[in-house]
Amino acid sequence: MLSLRNLVKVYPGPVAALRGVDLDVPRGMFGLLGPNGAGKSTLMKILSGLLEPTSGEVTLDGADIVRNPEALRPHLGYLPQEFGFYPYLTGEAMLLYLLKLKGVTAPQGLKKLCAELLERVNLTFAAKRKVKEYSGGMRQRLGIAQALAGNPKLIIVDEPTAGLDPEERLRFYRLLAEVAHERTVLLSTHIVEDVAMLCPRFAVIRQGRVVAITSPTDAKAAIQGTIFEGTASAAELSELQRTRRVTQAVLFEGRNRVRIHAPNAAVPAGFERVTPTLEDAYLLLMKDEQTPAEASAPVHEVAR
Amino acid sequence: MNAQRLGTVVRTELAHQVRRPLFVILLLITFLVVWGLSSGNVTIESGASQVGGQKAWVTSEFAVSQTLIFLTFLLYTFFISVGAGMGVIADEEARVGPILHTTPLTPREYVWGKFLAVLAAYGLALGAMVAFLVFFHHVVPAGENAEYRGPLSLLNYVRPALFFGVPLLVFMAGTAFAVGELTRRPVLVYFLPVVLMFICAFFLWDWSPGWLDPRVNRLLMAVEPAGLRWLSETWVKVDRGVEFYNHERVGLDALFVFSRLGFIAVGLGGVAWSARHVAQGLRGAPVRTVKGKTLADVPPATPLGTFREHAPLASLNMGVRAPGLLSGLWDVARVEARGLLSQPGLYLFVPIILLQTVVQSLNAVGPFDTPLLATPGHFAVRSMGQASTLVCLLLMFYTVESLERERAYFFAPIHDATPVRTLSVLLGKAFANSLVGVAILMVTWLAVSLVQLAQGNVPVSLVPYAIVWGLLMLPTFVLWTCFVLAARAVAGGRFGAYGLALAVLCLTGFAAVRGELNWATNWPLWGTVLWSDLGPFELDRTVLVLNRVGALGLAAFFAALAVRLDGRRAPDSVSLLERLKPRGLLSGAWRLTPWMVVPAVALIGAAVQVGQGWQGDAAKKRAKEYWQKNLATWKDAPQPAIQDVDLDVDLEPEAGTFHTRGTYTLVNRHDKALESFALTGGDHWEDVRWTVDGKESEAEDRSRLYVFKPVGGMQPGTVLRVGFDFHGRFPRGATKSGGKVEEFILPSGVVLTSFGPSFAPVIGFLDDIGVDPKENKYEPRVYSDRYYEGQTEAAWGMGTPFTTRIRVTGPADYTLNSAGVLESDEVKDGRRASVWKSDHPMSMFNIVAGKWTVLRGEGTAVFHHPSHVYNVEEMRRGLNAARKYYSEWFYPYPWKELKLSEFPGLATYAQGFATNITFSESIGFLTKSTSKANAVLLITAHEAAHQWWGNMLIPGKGPGGDVLSEGTSHYSALKLAEQLEGPAMRMEIAKRLEERYAKDRHLDAEQSLVKLDNSREGDNTVLYDKGGWVFWMMEDLLGREAMHAGLQAFLRQYISSADHPVLQDFTAAMRPFAKDAAAYDAFVQQWFHEVHVPEYRLSAASVKQEGAQWVATVTVENTGTGRMPVEVAAVKGERFPERTEEEAAKGPATQSPDYRDARKTVVLGAGEKAEVTVRADFAPERWVVDPDVRVLQLRRESAVLKL
Ligand SMILES: Nc1ncnc2c1ncn2[C@@H]1O[C@H](COP(=O)(O)OP(=O)(O)O)[C@@H](O)[C@H]1O
Ligand SMILES: [Mg+2]
Repeated sequence: MLSLRNLVKVYPGPVAALRGVDLDVPRGMFGLLGPNGAGKSTLMKILSGLLEPTSGEVTLDGADIVRNPEALRPHLGYLPQEFGFYPYLTGEAMLLYLLKLKGVTAPQGLKKLCAELLERVNLTFAAKRKVKEYSGGMRQRLGIAQALAGNPKLIIVDEPTAGLDPEERLRFYRLLAEVAHERTVLLSTHIVEDVAMLCPRFAVIRQGRVVAITSPTDAKAAIQGTIFEGTASAAELSELQRTRRVTQAVLFEGRNRVRIHAPNAAVPAGFERVTPTLEDAYLLLMKDEQTPAEASAPVHEVAR
Repeated sequence: MNAQRLGTVVRTELAHQVRRPLFVILLLITFLVVWGLSSGNVTIESGASQVGGQKAWVTSEFAVSQTLIFLTFLLYTFFISVGAGMGVIADEEARVGPILHTTPLTPREYVWGKFLAVLAAYGLALGAMVAFLVFFHHVVPAGENAEYRGPLSLLNYVRPALFFGVPLLVFMAGTAFAVGELTRRPVLVYFLPVVLMFICAFFLWDWSPGWLDPRVNRLLMAVEPAGLRWLSETWVKVDRGVEFYNHERVGLDALFVFSRLGFIAVGLGGVAWSARHVAQGLRGAPVRTVKGKTLADVPPATPLGTFREHAPLASLNMGVRAPGLLSGLWDVARVEARGLLSQPGLYLFVPIILLQTVVQSLNAVGPFDTPLLATPGHFAVRSMGQASTLVCLLLMFYTVESLERERAYFFAPIHDATPVRTLSVLLGKAFANSLVGVAILMVTWLAVSLVQLAQGNVPVSLVPYAIVWGLLMLPTFVLWTCFVLAARAVAGGRFGAYGLALAVLCLTGFAAVRGELNWATNWPLWGTVLWSDLGPFELDRTVLVLNRVGALGLAAFFAALAVRLDGRRAPDSVSLLERLKPRGLLSGAWRLTPWMVVPAVALIGAAVQVGQGWQGDAAKKRAKEYWQKNLATWKDAPQPAIQDVDLDVDLEPEAGTFHTRGTYTLVNRHDKALESFALTGGDHWEDVRWTVDGKESEAEDRSRLYVFKPVGGMQPGTVLRVGFDFHGRFPRGATKSGGKVEEFILPSGVVLTSFGPSFAPVIGFLDDIGVDPKENKYEPRVYSDRYYEGQTEAAWGMGTPFTTRIRVTGPADYTLNSAGVLESDEVKDGRRASVWKSDHPMSMFNIVAGKWTVLRGEGTAVFHHPSHVYNVEEMRRGLNAARKYYSEWFYPYPWKELKLSEFPGLATYAQGFATNITFSESIGFLTKSTSKANAVLLITAHEAAHQWWGNMLIPGKGPGGDVLSEGTSHYSALKLAEQLEGPAMRMEIAKRLEERYAKDRHLDAEQSLVKLDNSREGDNTVLYDKGGWVFWMMEDLLGREAMHAGLQAFLRQYISSADHPVLQDFTAAMRPFAKDAAAYDAFVQQWFHEVHVPEYRLSAASVKQEGAQWVATVTVENTGTGRMPVEVAAVKGERFPERTEEEAAKGPATQSPDYRDARKTVVLGAGEKAEVTVRADFAPERWVVDPDVRVLQLRRESAVLKL
């Protein structure tokens, strides 16, 4: 169990990237959903021991990670949002080096293990190529391979699917789902679909605060019966956006398909009740000034 | 190229460049440096500052050129290299390339735009420098420096900037740009100017021995990027005087113009090449098409995914065990080494550093600019300074860049989150980088060993290198690397680390130059250790060990500091502030204290030893006390003379100690009674006891000046025996920071002289003890023009010769040499006792001991270290010949044997005590002779000549006196060289002396021989080289027989006289031997009383055939000064063709039978011209002035004209 208590991070500026985060992440897959700049990467860097928080507490199975980041390192698999490798090494040499740095052991030997891991991220064909010749997706996959290596208690993946084609993304989901059985996997993303597919539970984070902790099912259930969809002209749409809570507005066959949230079911003509999606729930959370989660969240002072 | 787009690039880049902190800092430094320089007097070294007359202006074109070259070179090359070289690299690191290159901007516009912008920026900086110079020279009031300021002439500034500044900047910017673009390695860009600076400062700028082929010299001038070598070789080396430098323009020649154009072309070429390279890089690497292959045969870059079901990840059974310190270190080091090997810089720097250290150390010169043999130990030590500095710089760049690598490649987040230990990473990287250092040393060793093998006389060995480089230099590298790690951790980044590290390096260098380093602070061991093949590092061994232990301890401390600070977790600004509060810092420091224990103990120990040593503060204070207490009463106070010396000296070389018992028989030769007299004792003497006439005496100890007051005074003619008994260690304790030590008792050898109170007392007050040039320097003594009239006291020694008996005891395996003849030599109980007795009175005495092999000649002997056999045959030949011919020419040698003994090279000197000459190993024993110039003979003949000139004849104290010792010895050596090796050898050696004179003299400060007092720079070459030449020319004037007769008469008159002669006495004594007194007087006036040197130029040469004869005509002009008869010859063929070593070994060079010449003598005064016509029965090929090298002149190599 990974617990975060009142985690605050203030960058020089000062700007607050995390404004008091409380979170308990159970074993298994856990999503961290939030828009760009919400503080997800900041949170992950703190967890992986690369960034000292301004205040707050983080424990993994009782061990204090903030005080003692070294203790976590052997048990950590980390895929940062932005990273690179030594361009002059081959993919295989690079992975092998990382296995050594991480102290990974395997009965069959590191060389073999290396080959196995590359196979799983579909890089066998490029094992002997220099990393500088890799495409973005290939590099991402090499990153995934190193994050899964060893027997980490905690895997942190920061926007891992960026740059992957749909096929590779699916493959990655499978891998993640597979390893998530025995450990905690924390996945940050701004893509609702990722969470919907993978995470039994997830937290929504916005402006450095956790605004909701829920599961896809619960999130959808909470707004069951309150989402309506209809078409609107451009003028109508802007009117709607002023007066209603529009969750989505997409162009469909040249006209605006608009979904609105109407808890009291008072909707304009032509709008019909539809089954809510996770996207609706998320976007509503993003729109709300005052959501149940935030209302109940304690207000923390920012740093000392 | 589109001008508008190019303009945009230039403008954008220029705006960026001039706003960079780098640029602003450069301007600031320039301002400060120019300010600093202008408050001093940095000007052409014309020596003028010392004489009353005209001063060399700092504002002349010559002075400005020099200042500008130095500033541009030292400051701007580094900055412009970084500015230009990092441009493309920075764009790449910022990944703007793809966006930039999809615009219509072409690669050529991009590259040229960037380059031009950098050039423009630094052109502005150069302009600023000129403006600052003008400002400080002409606007700011000069105050007391007014006499160094000439009137403002803008051309004096603009021309140097254009001629020297611009080509250098274009060249540096262009090459740095190309290097950066081509390799994309920051390290290379930084190192390029540093390496260039080293090559220039230590090689191209100052390496110019007399024997350098002028063609090679011109080549070196052409390839030197700053133009300084050209300037000094062409205009400054031969001093043209203040008047010239103050008013003339720097005249350009074709060599200079073409080489500068060449540098500009190379710079621009580099940019053009980069442009092409960038364009190619965008198009991608060209692929060689394989014949017969179609696209279908080439596999796709990414194959279609194969969907294979995998066993679950868990089945891989992966586990983790956090990597240990060593295994982590090893893994990091291996990958790091791989990264290193892929760096092109390595392949560039290693050869450059190699070349630099090897060339520099192999080209070392000994006395009289003679080349030296490089034995392994000497080479290893000589290369230390250069190698340690260069490798430290290399290590700094590589270490920092290697630590920055993770960040630069965005690998840091993954890397830093792994469990590998920080210490493993830091040390692993440092270790891999230090392999570069090791590689450089290995290759250097290999290269030198190959050179030594090829030369075939010095043995190849690894041990000295292992000791010097392994034990002494390696700790320096370890310390430096750890310091750089810590510096980066403290400063938090690349440039901060460079700043800190370079600052420390510069500070150390500054302190070293000012002589402020000691064994506790001299971490790079600069200038500390000297090698001796006779027994290395015997002196200062304890402090040396403490210093190295301290260095390693400090290294551990810095490593600990680096690990503590080099958080892989970015610290929070709030908690960082907390830690920077005094309490946080204190507790942080407290935790590091255990690491301070070892270095602190070692270095404090070293400091204490230095403080207590003979160069320490306490010793200095005692010496000052001696000076203060006794100066007023005892300086120049009349003293009794020595009549006889009886010494019993017990030596313990292993312990470095001695015990002296002895008696001086003193006599009052003055015509007044002496109330008291004084003897100076050594600061290191213990349990000093005195007797007077056999009775225990309480001498007054005035800080080691022992004052005796015989009852009733010492009446004229009275004889008195002073006995003494004392012991001590010599030298006592450690030196301050190593370096040369003149006298010592060491296991490898003993050298002691009677010049100072080292092992025997000295009569009277010694006026150089306790004198610090900064605090209590004496005003130079003023001599009247006729000071030599009447009785002149001796320049050294004790005035009148005395008899000696010196008994030396020491371990049986030592030979114990002293002055005189060996009366007895006995070994008892493992101790040898050698008794030396003067068979003829002498004025000084010494002791030299060692474990030697001896080579005996005819009344001569060479005592040498068993392995130093290279030159001993030649030295014996020289000694034999010197003894024989000098006895014939000058005065019969009065002593029975002439010995020459070798001592460890802790100092580089030779001293010619009567019968007992001492040579340091680097003089003569390790001299490298060539078939053209027998340097060994020159040195041996010179030192042997001191038996006559300096021992039998002791010159008078006062201006010109020394010339009768050194000039005459050089003259004797020239004569002996001609006697043994023929005229070709004499001419060659004479030319070298002449070149040294031309190079080292300071025209405006130069004094005539009779005024020479050795107080000014440039006096040395006048004393030796001009001196030697003038006596040689005098022989030409008088004729050989008359000269010999004159010298013999002179020596007979003065050898046992109480009046010691100076040059005026000499010229007077020689006058009766001149056939033409008027010519003799003119010669003496011109060469002894005035300063003149002719310089001959040939022009308007023509030749025509008349029947079987050729009539050749040429115009000769004396563009120098002085009036001498000089021969001008039309010649054909090579007179003394090059000879191989074997041919040379057979005997003196003989004139080639194909050589012909036809000569005529002309006498030309300053500025005079004459047309010379000769008839020859051969077709002349060229005109030569002074074919026999008989007239001292400047730039002889230019006094040749091809027909
Ligand atoms: N080093 C930094 N200094 C200052 N502000 C930062 C720094 N890193 C991130 N931020 C700011 O913190 C906020 C959160 O960033 P981040 O955690 O990267 O968001 P996310 O990963 O959710 O997109 C952003 O507004 C970002 O600008
Ligand atoms: Mg992010």
